[in-house]
Amino acid sequence: MRQHVVELIRFSTYCELRAERSRSYLGLIWWIAEPAMMMAAFWLVFDVILKTGGPDYLPFLLIGLTVWQWMKSCITHGGYAIWSNLGLIRQARLPVLVFPLVQMLADTIKFFYIFALLLVILWVAGHPPNMAYFALPVLFVVTFLFAAGAGFLVASIVPLVPDLRFVIEQVLTVVMFLSGVVFALDQVPSPLREVIALNPVAELLDAARGILMRGEWPDWRALLKVSLISTGVCLFGIAVVQRLSPRYPKLAI
Amino acid sequence: MADAIIELEHVGIAFSAQRRVGSGRFWALEDVSLSLRRGQRLGVIGRNGAGKSTLLRVLAGILAPDRGTLRRRNVSCQLLSLALGFVPYLSGRDNAILSGLMIGLRQRDIVARLPAIREFSELGDFFDQPIATYSSGMVMRLGFSVAIQAEPDVLLIDEVLAVGDAEFQEKSGNALKERMRQGQTVVLVSHAEKQVAELCDRLLWIEHGRSVLEGDRDSVLRAYHEELHLGTPS
Repeated sequence: MRQHVVELIRFSTYCELRAERSRSYLGLIWWIAEPAMMMAAFWLVFDVILKTGGPDYLPFLLIGLTVWQWMKSCITHGGYAIWSNLGLIRQARLPVLVFPLVQMLADTIKFFYIFALLLVILWVAGHPPNMAYFALPVLFVVTFLFAAGAGFLVASIVPLVPDLRFVIEQVLTVVMFLSGVVFALDQVPSPLREVIALNPVAELLDAARGILMRGEWPDWRALLKVSLISTGVCLFGIAVVQRLSPRYPKLAI
Repeated sequence: MADAIIELEHVGIAFSAQRRVGSGRFWALEDVSLSLRRGQRLGVIGRNGAGKSTLLRVLAGILAPDRGTLRRRNVSCQLLSLALGFVPYLSGRDNAILSGLMIGLRQRDIVARLPAIREFSELGDFFDQPIATYSSGMVMRLGFSVAIQAEPDVLLIDEVLAVGDAEFQEKSGNALKERMRQGQTVVLVSHAEKQVAELCDRLLWIEHGRSVLEGDRDSVLRAYHEELHLGTPS
């Protein structure tokens, strides 16, 4: 049974990526082109026009957006996955966790392509590879756990309350601005800044920027705290999905 | 005689009536009992909305009873679902593997059967084309060819005995009948009484979510026809 589910997850992920590739004329190119266009838009508004940046703003922004987009797509794509597969869930006895997980894995594979491109840009911009890169896998795992947990939570509720879909994108936009993706959080006035600093996403982005831009090892204590939060969120998300799973086959599509 | 492999006792299934706050529930199944033994071919008859398809989903383990008890020995039950999980942008081959995984086969087993699936579906070179380019008949042919590969202990069939054009209908119908002759345990839901009478040795008659009568084919059919004022079957 377990091996069978692993095969199902693996092959479904392959199918998801493959189908997405053949849905558009340029296929694979969009994996890179779409985020690149979004990054260009942010850079244009915040750096060229508003001049919020300062030195090194471009790498700061690119790292933030790359990691954030990965988390966001895990949360939204994973979050809608049970809802959009209700037709299948009504007909077949499958572990529902498979559906969000497949979306998240597909998004993660796409993230690695974009990340590779990011590394090239950073090297060209004068931030060469360094020893601290060895901390990246740890950072990725913690980030994935957090995003997956949030995604599972959303996924568990959206089938029951589909109206939530209209809210989630907006909430995530606010979270993005409050996580220091676009501008550094030290620009935020004091009492609010300390509250925002509790946000695990901000912590993760800080660590990623430290490694990639300055060759600094992450603050392991802070990272340990974030990883405990992430693991907790992930386990909680899985538990909620499992708890609600008998209800999904009964829902109207 | 062997013991029952699946037993339902006074099983009920409730759905929420609407996706609204505080909406009521309705019972699609109110009180259904049945017992199924290995090798039996059980037909489920009843009018539209009697709860036949819901019953199959309970047997398949998709829905858990909201009341009553379901006892299942260590047996696998699989709904014969055509085109389960098919993705339009993928080739017939990829869809066959994906669908096969969803109906519980191991990947190596499906891959080993791909030539047989291709052969049975009569798709030829289309097998490696995206199924978005198929006609609906071709999709159904592929769907059936994959679905028939499932090897559960109990096969659950919901009115999909024959698909495609006349020729393929005969072929698919024969493939299923062949499976039944080989001793496959089957639960079959159908409106076509003739089919049920031909293929099943036991019948369960349900009405408004309640089991009315379960027994051997002829006595249940007779009672059913009397109730419908249709006289005895010819």
